[in-house]
Amino acid sequence: MDLRFLPEDMNWICQPCGVPLEPGMVELHYVGNVFRVELPVCPQCRQVLIDEELALGKMLEVEKLLEDK
Amino acid sequence: MDQKELHALEALCIQEEPPGCQAGCPLGVNARAFVQAVGKDDLAGGRAILEKSMPLAGIVARMCEAPCEQYCKRETLGGAIAIGRLERMCIEAVPSKAKFLKLPPKSKKVAVIGAGPSSLALANDLAKKGHPIHVYHTESGPGGWLRNLTDTVLKLEVIDQELKRLESFGVKFHPVKVLDYALCTEEYDAVYIGQDDELAADLLAMIGPADGETCALDQKGWFTGGLQAEGDPYRFIMAVSQGREAAISIDRFLQGASLTASRVKPRNGKTDLFVQTKDLSELKRIEPADQAGYTREEAVEEALRCIDCQCLECVRNCVYLAEYKSYPKVYARRIYNNSAIVKGVHQANTFINSCSLCRQCEVICPNDFSMADLCLQARQQMVVEERMPPSAHWFGLEEMKSAQGESRLLSHAQDQQDSAALFYPGCQLAGIRHLQTVKLYNELCAIEPKTGIWLDCCGAPAYWSGRQEDFEIMVEGFRNDWQSMGKPRLILACSTCLKLFRDNLPEIESVSVWKLLAEQQLVKKNIGKNALALSDPCTSRDDVETQGAVRSILQQLEQPLAPLEMSGKLTECCGYGGLMAGTDPALGRKVVEARVKQTESVMLTYCAMCRDRLALTGKPVLHLLDLLYPETALEAATPAESISARRVNRRRLKQIMAERCGKDELPQRYDWENIELVISQALEIVMEERHILEDDVRRVLHDYKQSGRHIAHGSENRKLASSRIGAATFWVEFYEEGDTFHLLRCWSHRMSIHQPDTGGR
Repeated sequence: MDLRFLPEDMNWICQPCGVPLEPGMVELHYVGNVFRVELPVCPQCRQVLIDEELALGKMLEVEKLLEDK
Repeated sequence: MDQKELHALEALCIQEEPPGCQAGCPLGVNARAFVQAVGKDDLAGGRAILEKSMPLAGIVARMCEAPCEQYCKRETLGGAIAIGRLERMCIEAVPSKAKFLKLPPKSKKVAVIGAGPSSLALANDLAKKGHPIHVYHTESGPGGWLRNLTDTVLKLEVIDQELKRLESFGVKFHPVKVLDYALCTEEYDAVYIGQDDELAADLLAMIGPADGETCALDQKGWFTGGLQAEGDPYRFIMAVSQGREAAISIDRFLQGASLTASRVKPRNGKTDLFVQTKDLSELKRIEPADQAGYTREEAVEEALRCIDCQCLECVRNCVYLAEYKSYPKVYARRIYNNSAIVKGVHQANTFINSCSLCRQCEVICPNDFSMADLCLQARQQMVVEERMPPSAHWFGLEEMKSAQGESRLLSHAQDQQDSAALFYPGCQLAGIRHLQTVKLYNELCAIEPKTGIWLDCCGAPAYWSGRQEDFEIMVEGFRNDWQSMGKPRLILACSTCLKLFRDNLPEIESVSVWKLLAEQQLVKKNIGKNALALSDPCTSRDDVETQGAVRSILQQLEQPLAPLEMSGKLTECCGYGGLMAGTDPALGRKVVEARVKQTESVMLTYCAMCRDRLALTGKPVLHLLDLLYPETALEAATPAESISARRVNRRRLKQIMAERCGKDELPQRYDWENIELVISQALEIVMEERHILEDDVRRVLHDYKQSGRHIAHGSENRKLASSRIGAATFWVEFYEEGDTFHLLRCWSHRMSIHQPDTGGR
């Protein structure tokens, strides 16, 4: 799994923090597996953005892969 | 399932049984594959198939009397395929490309007395195995009576060509004046006496009766064959077959092995392959313009008459079985292997989880093979072993939870302290036709005022998804509920609920609402309507009583019916059963598409889920209630109810029924229910596909309104909010206009997000 998932459009502001999201490391958990990935994150409150393309693309693919193991 | 159970199951599926022609071939030639190759004008391929099973194919293909043709299924449909003629044409048209392999030489020698067809076949088979073979023949040359035939039947050069091939395998030919006993010297470890040649009287006198299976004689190491009399219709091919059987015996004898242990017996035409011929029309056998034989074009045309005998009865009728491009015998093995995997990818998970469990295959299969049992057991095993993919049946289970929770209601009728009967409409009728459900309840109360109401889900999603333990707990709960109501009779509208109650709670008197209505005097006439194609729900397959009651209602309403072949006991699933559409939405779609193509007429059903699944295709479909109660009827063209609307309808029905029964138990109102949404039609479709409910979206937006937490676009008027609801995180992209939320996009994922150092969300 590619560990960097930053959307083309990074122009997102965390609210109510009021600061732009930045690349940051988070963990994705599924059926007992853990992945460390780089995603847009609020540097203050750690709110994470998972965009549609990632959720329905690579993420779904990995979910299915893990389920069939 | 253990190996033994697997083998028993595999044996039920007869698709791999040989076709009649192959079973009727004394050499077991795959004539079906051969004829199919000729039909494709692939003569080289055809010849290769012949050479695989035929010794001395150059001679045998020209001389065989084709006993196989007696077993051809075309026999009564224009005449058997002329397999003999096709073989002859093929062998003459293309040269051999086969490379004959010979095993390393062995030391034990075999004497072959006589050189008729049986002897040559035997010499061929044993020489290939490496045995030194000595063939004794009269001075006219090897071949026996084959050498006396005219050129149009068999040219000498063909015989000589095959003899040369035998010599290349190391067969030694010895001309002698007479084929007598003196040749059977002690230097030979085994002797074969080919009676299809001119044997001397002293040798003939030595031969007693031969064993029918092994061709063995009383003398140890002696074998015989070629017993057919001149004039026998299969003289040639039976001699070759006996030579082959004797060769098997001699090979075993020389190795000191049993002559009979696990020996494959000739089938003599016997096969269990089932071949459906009812839809085939007659096609006359192609007669060759020149009696000497077929031209290539004639042969191809003749071969194209071949039925290509296969069973595949279940596969032909089931989109799911056809989707995976094989048949139950292979599927059973695939599922067994999938269960046996400890590590690695379980590639059959989706396959196992997408069978609709409709059991049509059981009815169609000549041996009652059940894919439903196979898949359901595999699912139960996956659940027990904790390797059931959590997403496989997720949405169906969510629906169940909602129907058993927020939308559940159990009540006596208004002003009644007890119930003589309880109406159990089922969660789908409640979700899809809630106003008609009320109407139906009123009718039932008119028949029996002490009719209470039970809104619930029968637990089918738990059962279908293999969650047997959960399901049994539910059943226990249903029993308690029923007892708490004074053990009344249950009146059910849904075939699935009815079946599950009957199978699991036989102590409850459960009856179909349609049976009850059929017994009433129905005065409503439905005159002047077009014939409708009645599609029985798959869970009514064995319920002759309910199916009959529905037809009786239609008769009373004077509603004519259009024919629909796969109905009644043979009926088909709408793609929802077994949670197929949840596991594999595209397959579920294919199933309904195929179903609606089976009739030009407007369809009719008495299962709410079937009605909406079939209507997904755009096909006009009516529910039986539309005919019974025209005042609440919906048009046949009414689109399917969305998953979001179903949830809302169930809550509404609960509210109406609770008020109707004077029950305080109104459905819980949620803060998020009032959130106003604007959703484009295109997005509605996307949400339906992604199983995202308006309820889910409202909950996300409610969370956002409460907390103010969201992600706003830096330059455009777009916001993102997300919430974890159950096993998924839902994301909504929107903009606000006053109190109204305009949805732009929504999606979900199952992975949960965690901070490397803190908890998840």
